[in-house]
Amino acid sequence: MNSKDQTVTVATSPGPQNGSEPRVEKIATPERRRAPRTLPASVLTPPAPPPPPHLDDYKKIIGEGPVDALHFLARELKGKSIKMVNSTAVGGGVAEMLNRLVPLLSELEVPTHWDVITGGNDFFEVTKAFHNALHGSLYELTKAAQEIFLMYNEQNRERMRFDEELVVIHDPQPAALIRSRDKAKSDWVWRCHIDLSNPDARVWEFLRPFIEQYDAAIFSSQSFARQLPIPQYLFYPCIDPLSEKNKDLSDEQVQRICDEFGIDRSRPIVTQVSRFDRLKDPLGVVHAYKLAKKYVDCQLVLAGGGASDDPEGAVVLQEVKEAAGDDPDIIILDLPPWCALEINAIQRASTLVVQKSLREGFGLTVTEALWKGKPTIAGAVGGIPNQIIHKLTGVLVHTVEGCAFQIRYLLTHPEFARQIGINGREHVKENFLMTTNVKRWLLLYRILQRARSQKAA
Amino acid sequence: MSATSISAPEKLSPRKPRKPFYFNTSEHLLRIGRQKASTFAELLEALQTCPDDSIFQHTFRTLQEHHFIRQGFSNDFAHWSLFACHEPVLAEQLASVDVREFTSISGLRARMVEIVDGFLKQHPRLGSQPALEPFYFCASDLLILPTSCVADSLPGFVESLRAVSLHSIHHHFIEARLRLHLMSNDFSQWLEEEAGLPEVADSIERIDIYTNTLDGVRQQIARLVEQVPG
Repeated sequence: MNSKDQTVTVATSPGPQNGSEPRVEKIATPERRRAPRTLPASVLTPPAPPPPPHLDDYKKIIGEGPVDALHFLARELKGKSIKMVNSTAVGGGVAEMLNRLVPLLSELEVPTHWDVITGGNDFFEVTKAFHNALHGSLYELTKAAQEIFLMYNEQNRERMRFDEELVVIHDPQPAALIRSRDKAKSDWVWRCHIDLSNPDARVWEFLRPFIEQYDAAIFSSQSFARQLPIPQYLFYPCIDPLSEKNKDLSDEQVQRICDEFGIDRSRPIVTQVSRFDRLKDPLGVVHAYKLAKKYVDCQLVLAGGGASDDPEGAVVLQEVKEAAGDDPDIIILDLPPWCALEINAIQRASTLVVQKSLREGFGLTVTEALWKGKPTIAGAVGGIPNQIIHKLTGVLVHTVEGCAFQIRYLLTHPEFARQIGINGREHVKENFLMTTNVKRWLLLYRILQRARSQKAA
Repeated sequence: MSATSISAPEKLSPRKPRKPFYFNTSEHLLRIGRQKASTFAELLEALQTCPDDSIFQHTFRTLQEHHFIRQGFSNDFAHWSLFACHEPVLAEQLASVDVREFTSISGLRARMVEIVDGFLKQHPRLGSQPALEPFYFCASDLLILPTSCVADSLPGFVESLRAVSLHSIHHHFIEARLRLHLMSNDFSQWLEEEAGLPEVADSIERIDIYTNTLDGVRQQIARLVEQVPG
């Protein structure tokens, strides 16, 4: 195909004024390649994980001062230890975060042990149902479910030792381990990673008596917290700037991966990285792209996963493909979970990133995009408004039409787009990096120790 | 009668300040408060009753969290008024409150209350208008930490200034007035009292923190001190 054969219309003014038609001009576009519908061989098997970074590796990213502050904070905690307990060693955001956090705390000479509770299928079925109910789904809490939850917590409690001065229990699954707490010896903290703003009342009332025994609770957003008689802290989730998904890449690496997926870097790229899940509104994104495309030339990349192991995801993926039709500029990638490097490259190649979620936890894909300095358009839900300060670190939208307008606006106002991209990266650097997370844990530990000493005095 | 020797006032040398400057830093942990406001009337009530450390968090501290923005982020109350309540007049009035004009939280709180109260007296019907999202009152738990940077000369001061974290700059330059209860900052105090440089101290105090990033403030302070003749 000759590239001169194709033209698109681009609005060069914001829209009709005084009843006049928008001024449009014809521009030539390079040849459009049809996106490959099969994944390249390089992503079909998981790569070996790279070794975890050391604290000094972060100096080139956040500077020496903040790393020194971590050492000063840790100084008074030397010899004291932490235990982290959750319900899974692999997969999921909590395990991913602990994989980085635990070695960094230990490097600061605050020995940190990570223990995983065990349970049968019946336990994890119950806790999965609890999880959904705490997110607001309808659920019939039965006596049997309560007994299964308590029985496995009791089994784990008998198996585990709690000799550390600070014990951190992640999420509801191991919450009843609090029965092992020795008030004289240790502080116990409940770290809740889920949105409790609208929980099923019976499940929450079942869990609440356990939570109230902790010394403090931690939530990922102000709006996720509950009224509790214990101090509640705000720990934002975080990304690791040295992970495969977020580390710097050379332009050659980005180009190679774009070539593999048929993404044309010579034209604007609008990307949403998300599971094929209705709550991420991929159909809304396709619709917004089509509305925007009437005025601006761009490609849409929908990169995600979840369609192969989730029947609902497969249905959503099929619907997205149907909505995309035969538009060669819509590139749909159903990627396996180990494609962190590929996601990184696609985000870096993008002109804009969209996260048009209808419901969201914190929205770490937004954090990832901001970290890469990308102008980001996102739904004003869950923890996203903590990351996107409207028109300063990104733009918030509430509708498909709003999303379409912002795509048009940002693609035609590159200086504004560049500035919010710069601000967004700084926002992540200050608030949402792994090193900030390490600092929060050290601060919390010091503050709990201070409260304990004051009580003793 | 023996002669009494009266020593002349010690002449300060900018090259060798009398005492070193010890760079500290403050680190904060965000605590979620019990109060939230979904209307301006609720905001006013909470502003009057919330703990001092909530006022500190949403004014002084939020400035540090958003130190990289120079396009009009002033405090959380102003931001909420604009983006959750679409009230640009009140937002502008709240945003114009300069934290550096206050040496105590009580004075700052009184000013915020006065602005919101005045607005609601002018527009009583807006008091119960629901916001798009609530304002959650938070607070800061604070720890002050030393750093490895100590300056006993002006070049050493500039070198340390450029090495410390922005939290340290915020601690000495912005939060300091709450500690000193003076319309000044730790850098200006030291330059005036220990190095005899009142003009430099005054110039530093006049740096506008609202139209600069905190890193921009750092660079301006460094430049002012570097210009002192050796």
